[in-house]
Amino acid sequence: MAAPEPMIHICDDWISISLASREAVFAAARNFSSDKCWTEIVPGIDSVAIQFNPALLSPDEASHLAIRQLGTEVSETYCPPPAIVIPICYDAEFSPDRDLIAQKLALKSTNLSTWHTSKTHRVAMLGFMPGFAYLESPEECPAIGRLENPRQLVSAGSIGIIGNQSCIYSFDSPGGWPIIGRTPLRLFDPSRDRPALLTAGQTICFESITRQAFDQWPQGAME
Amino acid sequence: MSMRVLKAGLQTTLQGVPFAGHRKIGMPAAGAADCLSLALANSLVGKPSGAVAIEITLTEAVFEIQEPCSIGVVGGAEFLRINDVVHPQHQTIDLLAGDKIHLGPSHQGTRTYLAVSAAIHADQVLDGQSTYLTAGLGGHHGRALQTEDIIAFTQAPSNQRRNRSTPLHLRPHYSEDYMLRVTPGPEADSPDAAVVEALCRSPYVIGARMNRMGLALEGDSLERETFSNMPSAAVFPGTIQLPESGQPYLLGPDAQTTGGYPRIAQVIRADRHLIGQLSSGSKIRLVRVTAERATEIYREKLSLLTPWLGQINFW
Repeated sequence: MAAPEPMIHICDDWISISLASREAVFAAARNFSSDKCWTEIVPGIDSVAIQFNPALLSPDEASHLAIRQLGTEVSETYCPPPAIVIPICYDAEFSPDRDLIAQKLALKSTNLSTWHTSKTHRVAMLGFMPGFAYLESPEECPAIGRLENPRQLVSAGSIGIIGNQSCIYSFDSPGGWPIIGRTPLRLFDPSRDRPALLTAGQTICFESITRQAFDQWPQGAME
Repeated sequence: MSMRVLKAGLQTTLQGVPFAGHRKIGMPAAGAADCLSLALANSLVGKPSGAVAIEITLTEAVFEIQEPCSIGVVGGAEFLRINDVVHPQHQTIDLLAGDKIHLGPSHQGTRTYLAVSAAIHADQVLDGQSTYLTAGLGGHHGRALQTEDIIAFTQAPSNQRRNRSTPLHLRPHYSEDYMLRVTPGPEADSPDAAVVEALCRSPYVIGARMNRMGLALEGDSLERETFSNMPSAAVFPGTIQLPESGQPYLLGPDAQTTGGYPRIAQVIRADRHLIGQLSSGSKIRLVRVTAERATEIYREKLSLLTPWLGQINFW
């Protein structure tokens, strides 16, 4: 069975490769990661980009290398990153868009947390800011859409949801996703061995915690 | 062992080499916006081209040296005065404790680099020490310098006296009119090849909306066949995106790692340092080259610079 040919585009020091599936994106990123000549390997939703030093490799050499590595089967069996449980607090202060989200889902606001914790998610990719995670859920979900007026400030740890896609804000930043709750975990901490809490491909579940548990959450406990 | 900030200016940060290899976890490059001016300034004080220095943006800034050391200044500042005496850029200058360094506002160009012979203390994050302002990481407590801040030196200035002066043919010419060479981006492939032609047809002016993350380009509005947002994909400093407004957006050193707008062009690595010298009102002309030609240009530029700067990487 022939897989569709990946589409390759070459700029002067990076290559963009469009791929047919998320699994193909993860596999390509793994294949590239064993070669030091790629100075950046950036998975996207349906593509992966690799950067190289044009003093050392020509675009032609780089693309030949990339095509060869794309076709390589990784010999060792792949272990996906272990699933992780993310504590989330649905306190009204942390869930400013609960009514909007519940309305779009035709749920009562009080049932929102039960609905949300019953879903499983997978980290599709990291991007936007250090440790910021884009999540996808395999289950059907009505579209919620973005806020008409993005917020100037969304607090770090906030979990946004627009339907099958969710995100976790890693730093205080502007943002336009409706916010359903907040986690006390630090998504990015450069002092940790692995600064980003989450990894692309990782399965995550949310577990509801009380406001008191949130306020008393020991920093560093998940490190 | 330190230096005091007497007047910080609009956005003065500690910057050296960018963060590298962490875009997959969302960590942008940051680092000096104009790597060539940084390298030339560092060279005047005998430091590696990517060593941490002080990056000053647009407005004037004043510093006071607390111990003898030498400095090098390269960039768009209108003047450089030491204790009210005018000095040239591109020259090693020996200073005594208590000397005041006064950098004028940008005349042409946007950023000026002040390198010192001592090692500047900056917060270590991942593999680097540059300042990434949006997340408050690196540099001086992750933020821009403020008046009365003390910039600590971790190592005394070396006693070895140097007197260096940048060769005339290597001194950058800062202007308000730049040519930036681009290769077509991934979303400029057919059927949208025409978008790159249109982008290169007439000049653009840098709009008021500009910072280290990116710069709005004002000029001919561009149209594409289809205008849907695309699934998020990697972007880099120098990527030109085309949002629905049709006004292109040029990404800077602090650009986020992924984006959802079509990537229609990429400023070539050899010209990317010029992005650091663009400011509102600067005029740019974009010129299309092939990826192969871009590589030749980059290698030619490096071979011109290495006899003076030693090993150097652009970013």
